[in-house]
Amino acid sequence: MTKPILISILVSVVLIGGAFWLATQSSGGAASGTATIVDGIQYVDISAKGGYSPRVVTAKAGVPTVLRMKTSGTFDCSASLVIPKLSYQKFLQPSGTEEISIPGEKAQGTMQGLCSMGMYNFQIQFL
Amino acid sequence: MMKTYTFHVSGMHCNACILMTESELKDVPYVTNAKSSLSTNSVEVTGAFGGKAPEMIAEELTKVLRPHGYTLSVERIEKNAGWGDFAYAIPIALAFILGFAALQKAGLTSLVTGSSVNYGTAFGLGLIASVSSCLAIVGGLVLSLSASSAKEGGTWRTQSLFHVGRLAGFFVLGGVIGLIGSSFHIGITANVVLGIIVAAVMFILGVNLLDVFHFTKRLQLTMPAWASRHVVRGSKHDHYLAPVLVGIGTFFLPCGFTQSMQLYALTTGSFMQGAMTMFVFALGTFPVLALLSFGSLNIAHKPWKGIFFKTAGIIVIALALFNLLNALATAGIINPLFSI
Repeated sequence: MTKPILISILVSVVLIGGAFWLATQSSGGAASGTATIVDGIQYVDISAKGGYSPRVVTAKAGVPTVLRMKTSGTFDCSASLVIPKLSYQKFLQPSGTEEISIPGEKAQGTMQGLCSMGMYNFQIQFL
Repeated sequence: MMKTYTFHVSGMHCNACILMTESELKDVPYVTNAKSSLSTNSVEVTGAFGGKAPEMIAEELTKVLRPHGYTLSVERIEKNAGWGDFAYAIPIALAFILGFAALQKAGLTSLVTGSSVNYGTAFGLGLIASVSSCLAIVGGLVLSLSASSAKEGGTWRTQSLFHVGRLAGFFVLGGVIGLIGSSFHIGITANVVLGIIVAAVMFILGVNLLDVFHFTKRLQLTMPAWASRHVVRGSKHDHYLAPVLVGIGTFFLPCGFTQSMQLYALTTGSFMQGAMTMFVFALGTFPVLALLSFGSLNIAHKPWKGIFFKTAGIIVIALALFNLLNALATAGIINPLFSI
């Protein structure tokens, strides 16, 4: 094997290693959170800006739930919210709070939310 | 005394190359005729060579063609897929992809504060958008189209027209949504379909840029010879419309920043404000996109263009897969694989 190929393989391995290291790093903000229940209604609070925070929220299954999406100066993809299970798609206002109600019967399993391009996501785990 | 020799040409990969080699060779004073063939990668040269050996002639004519990336030889050189270029292309491409991922982690979006939009923030958002997730889709498309165009012998005019189309399109369409107060908001299904189509186009162009697989020749979106003739010789009538239309089309590409700008533009309720907001935003994305397109054009004539095209090919394919998986995740078909 020639020298450039060896160097190339070495550099590639280092870069791939770096990519994995990056991928396992959690970005800023709380990684997980829990829902709060007030007067029989469950509230899940998620802030959207350059991604969603917290990324994973645990909640009680079968309880009528309100998902509150908070934006503040959000102009990136995370404002373009999609929740496939609810067939929900909306462009959130740059700043404000959007309330999305999830009926009790839909509050089951894992609910995935993502931005319309797909690279930001969060999930609500109904246990 | 007139003599005819047949030489093998390496570096010919497109219909435009036929015209390029022929016209360059015909410009040599002692050459009276030249006929290139893409299928055999050879050129038939007729001229008064004054009793020179064929090797000498090949060497002399190569000097003429080398600046354009072609070499002539008497012996047939086995088609070199340029596997050696991958030794450089793979690490460079990986470094770019890693840099892109790191950039996303860096949280550029937090640089934008406040909830109101003025022209300054629109420009800033454009700048950020051009190095953010939008780069995966808009930048990836620009890179794949411009590198392919450069490889096919496209000129600076093609690239400029794309940018003119993009800027003008953003101005006019931004004005229209400002005026009518409703966006061309595309539904989730359309969004997913568009994402998949863009990913597919990028994938095909990316594989073509690698220039190694023969089976993709079938997929190759080469320009027919008559079209190439116009591009190479600079006809005034052809290939004005296509790049302009593609430029305008980028208005509809699923990019979060573009969409939130459109959302803002439609609340302005005035043509000028909507138009200016979108125009300034597009202007913000211009530096990076211009670098991608004019950079590829410039590099396409450098000796290390093989490395560049392969690097671009790998990056474009990676971005195509990234876009495809994201589109499928958005459709709820698969779970999101990437989380930035």
